Amino acid sequence: MSDSQNINRSGMSRRQFLAGTGALGALGLSLPALLAACGGGDGGGAQSLFFENWPLYIDPTEGDTLGTVDRFIKATDIKMTYTEAYNDNNEYFAKIQPLLGAGKKIEPDIIAPTFWLAGRLLALGWLEKLNLDKIPNAANLVPGMQNPTWDPTGEYSLPWQAGMTGIAYNIDVTGRELKSTEDLFDPAFKGKIGMLTEMRDTIGLIMMNLGKDPSTVASFDDASGAFDKLEKAKSDGQVRAFTGNDYTDDLVSGNFAACVGWSGDVLQLQKDSPQVRFVIPEEGGTRWADVMVIPKGAKNTDAAAEWMNFVYDPAQAAQLSAYVQYLSPVSGVQDELAKIDPELAGNPLMFTDDATSSRLRSWATLSEEVEAEFDAAFSSITGA
Amino acid sequence: MTTAVPVHPAQRFGANADRVGLGALIVASSCLVALGAGWVDGVLRPVVVLVFVAVVVGVLVLVVIGGPQARRLLAPYGLLQPGILWLALFFLAPVWSLLRISLSTKPSRFSVDYSFSWAFQNYSRAFGEFGTQFRHAFVYAAVATVFTVLIGYPLAYVIAFRGGKYKNILLGMVVIPFFTSYLIRTIAWSTILADRGPLVAVLNDVGLVRLFESLHLMNNGQLLNTPAAVIGGLTYNFLPFMLLPIYVSLEKIDTNLVDAANDLYSNSTRAFRKIVLPLSIPGVFAGTLLTFIPAAGDFVNAQFLGSPNTTMIGNSIQDQFLKQNNYPVASAMSAVLMVSIASLVLIYTRLFGTEDLT
Repeated sequence: MSDSQNINRSGMSRRQFLAGTGALGALGLSLPALLAACGGGDGGGAQSLFFENWPLYIDPTEGDTLGTVDRFIKATDIKMTYTEAYNDNNEYFAKIQPLLGAGKKIEPDIIAPTFWLAGRLLALGWLEKLNLDKIPNAANLVPGMQNPTWDPTGEYSLPWQAGMTGIAYNIDVTGRELKSTEDLFDPAFKGKIGMLTEMRDTIGLIMMNLGKDPSTVASFDDASGAFDKLEKAKSDGQVRAFTGNDYTDDLVSGNFAACVGWSGDVLQLQKDSPQVRFVIPEEGGTRWADVMVIPKGAKNTDAAAEWMNFVYDPAQAAQLSAYVQYLSPVSGVQDELAKIDPELAGNPLMFTDDATSSRLRSWATLSEEVEAEFDAAFSSITGA
Repeated sequence: MTTAVPVHPAQRFGANADRVGLGALIVASSCLVALGAGWVDGVLRPVVVLVFVAVVVGVLVLVVIGGPQARRLLAPYGLLQPGILWLALFFLAPVWSLLRISLSTKPSRFSVDYSFSWAFQNYSRAFGEFGTQFRHAFVYAAVATVFTVLIGYPLAYVIAFRGGKYKNILLGMVVIPFFTSYLIRTIAWSTILADRGPLVAVLNDVGLVRLFESLHLMNNGQLLNTPAAVIGGLTYNFLPFMLLPIYVSLEKIDTNLVDAANDLYSNSTRAFRKIVLPLSIPGVFAGTLLTFIPAAGDFVNAQFLGSPNTTMIGNSIQDQFLKQNNYPVASAMSAVLMVSIASLVLIYTRLFGTEDLT
């Protein structure tokens, strides 16, 4: 909702530019379609595809450089709609739950929930199987991400991007480099700290700050210290807001001195706002993946397969990575990226070395009861 | 030779038309409540729809074929019908659903169905966990209402009595900003009040930050995300709802009364206190209701201008409905909010209410 307060002016112009090229593209597309209609049609019929994704998660068309969506449209003639309405996992789940739960369809053909929510959707039986026969490039999925515990056969999901949760900060406001999660609790930044409404991101960092490991968490007791610490920070007025992906606005404008943030977002923002920095705290950060899944009853599963195959081609994935700067799930991207931008190919926030990897943890899968306990405790703090 | 004059059925009906009208109204509105609240499903649903349509059409037919007497008796029920049916479908049915869900439990965490089970624990959660948010809602809304009176009354007074030929332009200037979306206006405030925004910069330059901090208008050098910002947003957003009713009641006042008071050696303060103020109280009363009630349930201002420590009950209800998927507790909170606002308004009406509303 608060996207409209976007201070990031060039971001707006990029989007407007995209809309403009989209309109031009539509004009270009509609002409042949009109001619085809006059010619009596060959029965091919333009396929369409709707992908609802998180903000700052794709390379837009800039000047002569086509973005991934436009390259895909050009290559396949599939009419693709790409939206950025996914701001928060719980919020999105609440939006689709009444429909999918009642056996109705939702509009998007592909959505990109975070892995734990994808696991929940799968357990509820709300996902379609991927047509892996039509996605030969799925073989390029990096070995470490194949067959995750929540989708053991790997038939329902393909990661879109992976990333890291750490500390994002605006050095104009902090006046110093930050190193530790403890800096979020520094009284000097009272009322200028942002936390994410994503429980795993916020609590995960605080747990690691307290020396607990989210990858082995089994019961609420393991994390209760982190909840207490967050509760205290909130009542002391340390926390300015709990936000979804829209934390980027407050970070750039300086309302947040520092916040819990996602690696690629911050790297992208740096292009226009060099004052924004990202660091994996010395206590460690968390690692996650947002995965492409097809909601039950989606119409365009073939087009979805074609899209997934397209973005799993290392050459395409490298162009995407060059822009979004997250951890790519496609193997071979680093070599392709070295051809476009050798500096990025050596960026440890995009291609983690062993030293960095050893500081990252992924959340354990929580059982339904434990997750409910975590969510309830978290929502009572985030204020709601 | 006397032949029994056959009584026309329409004439016989004529005498009982009012009972028929009342019956039709009750049946039709029950049908709508049953449909809206989901009392019937499966094959029963089309049956109820048919009954509803038959009753409404039946009444219309009776009006057409019935005599003048029948028409006269049916008229009040006919005129009531649209309003009552509207309330049945859009007030009674939803309130019934709300109360039902507020006493239900979810069979499983992600279920879309609710089973009714007299689950009063939803209400104890609503009271127990969200006391602070209820308090915020009522305090912020009350303070904002007082501010809208303090700002709105003098403004309405000037426009009504001193506006002259600019009256309409002045009123327009009050109303025109509100042609923009509520959300956009509130988000615009969050840009104006931002830490690196224009206002904070000016306050820093002028050196008023200390003063503002001591007045609790600022916290940690911030204007945004403070209770003052939330109250300010509410005041700004609800000002027209206070100003317009006050303006209407001031506008109606016969200025000859003020002249008469002056002729009787009253000074202008006394004339205002004895003549203008009492006659404009209905406007203040209506404005208070129009401001306080929506402000107490508002969540937009606290969302964009507040912090995690200024959440109002509207935010909590929204969060429970739209993020936690906890419809039973959210419904219980909504029911508590409705009842508390209703009782506050009732008390207020008893204490200050007038016969003449506007």
